[in-house]
Amino acid sequence: MSGLQWWCSAQTGAWTWTPRPFPGVWLLVICLMGVYWILRRNADPAQDDSHSGRDRRAAVAWFAGVLALWIALDWPIGALAGYLASAHMVQFLLISLVAPALLLLGVPTAAWTRLARRDGAVRALHLMTHPLVALAIFQLVLFYTHVPSVVDRLMPTPWGSFAIDMAWLVAGTLFWWPVVAPVPIRPRFRYPLKMGYLFLSTVLNTMPYAFLTFGELPFYGVYELAPPVGSLTVRQDQQVAGLLMKVGGGLILWTAITILFFRWYGKEGEAEGPIPSA
Amino acid sequence: MATLGCAAVVIGGCRLEAPERTEAEARARRTGYRGILLEDTGPRPAFVLTDTRGGVYDFQAETEGKLALLFFGYTYCPDICPVHMASLAAVKRDLSAEDQNGIRVIFATVDPQRDTPERLRSWLDNFDPAFVGLHGSEAEVDSIMLGLGLPPAVRDTASGPDYGVGHASQVIAFPPGADHRVVYPFGTRQADWVHDFPKLLNP
Repeated sequence: MSGLQWWCSAQTGAWTWTPRPFPGVWLLVICLMGVYWILRRNADPAQDDSHSGRDRRAAVAWFAGVLALWIALDWPIGALAGYLASAHMVQFLLISLVAPALLLLGVPTAAWTRLARRDGAVRALHLMTHPLVALAIFQLVLFYTHVPSVVDRLMPTPWGSFAIDMAWLVAGTLFWWPVVAPVPIRPRFRYPLKMGYLFLSTVLNTMPYAFLTFGELPFYGVYELAPPVGSLTVRQDQQVAGLLMKVGGGLILWTAITILFFRWYGKEGEAEGPIPSA
Repeated sequence: MATLGCAAVVIGGCRLEAPERTEAEARARRTGYRGILLEDTGPRPAFVLTDTRGGVYDFQAETEGKLALLFFGYTYCPDICPVHMASLAAVKRDLSAEDQNGIRVIFATVDPQRDTPERLRSWLDNFDPAFVGLHGSEAEVDSIMLGLGLPPAVRDTASGPDYGVGHASQVIAFPPGADHRVVYPFGTRQADWVHDFPKLLNP
């Protein structure tokens, strides 16, 4: 086992269950806590609804998002992701699908209000977070970060592994933005379209899933040549990774679709008003 | 900027093929093997060790007419040995019964103190019960390795009961009826074995 690493990456030494520190991960977690403190501190006192139920829920969401990132990146999952494709896939799901949605849900209302006042930022966000642009970027990042030559080249170094993790986080944030964020306002991107957008992503991740699950040979040299962990063979590990992508990713997206559906159903009910009594 | 930086690194990585992959493919274009071809090496080495049932194993006689894949390792090895054995087992499993029968995977232990025949058998059975485990004294095994041009194993027994053993990390393939050998260093992928097995079986 090598010495201290600032970020988790693939290792050639045998796996041990001795915990290892990753200072870069701790720094990221501290930074995200700091971001939340800044977002709260700069809240407009006139609009401060920090004591409202909504912002209490938002605070819980933000810290749940930070926790998801911490779990994904720190020991043991972060370290195992250098040995097992399946652990790498758990990281992908947590970093790109779970954490960004929770972080966006965790932004305080006052921070969204301030953002909406910045015309330049709103214009840039209009383009960057357009559903088609966001979906295309997310799918491209998903594809490129699962190409064997990319994984084999980047995973063995902390900087390479960091680049993959940050690409997932940024792409995941862009992906969830049109669904979760209230800024910029997209009046035509309503619940049915949001559900369709998420459904489309469940379909688009089928290609990498199929390659991983039904591939006859191991794709990734970094995992094929890694010291063994547990009793899974390299091919079984790759199949588990593919299934996690499809089933785990599908579960997250379908949970979001279900929540959107019930919100839509609730709004429709409100619009129609109470059924008049006879 | 951060987004662009990450994207540049990720996309840049896509274009960079690992050097060992391109080397293996270049070798395959030259020689037909992704492994390293050693030409005119003469007949297979003549040595006798003990197998895991306690019987005499004459390497030349037992592997005659077969593709022999010889590796020197130890069962406490945390990385190279299990990876090589797992790769060979996985690829061999996908071959036809006839081809499987034409292959002998021979694992000679460099750590006879700890690798008892029972332990060796049990460890190899995790990969493939047909893999042959061989046992001999340290001097015997070192001498065979030297004869094959491999450095003898270095046993760091002073570091305690969980000592490591430094040993050659390559699998040596002896194709049937050929006067050449093919060496497969650590880093050989299952795809390389799949590529080379047809030629190794019928050189």
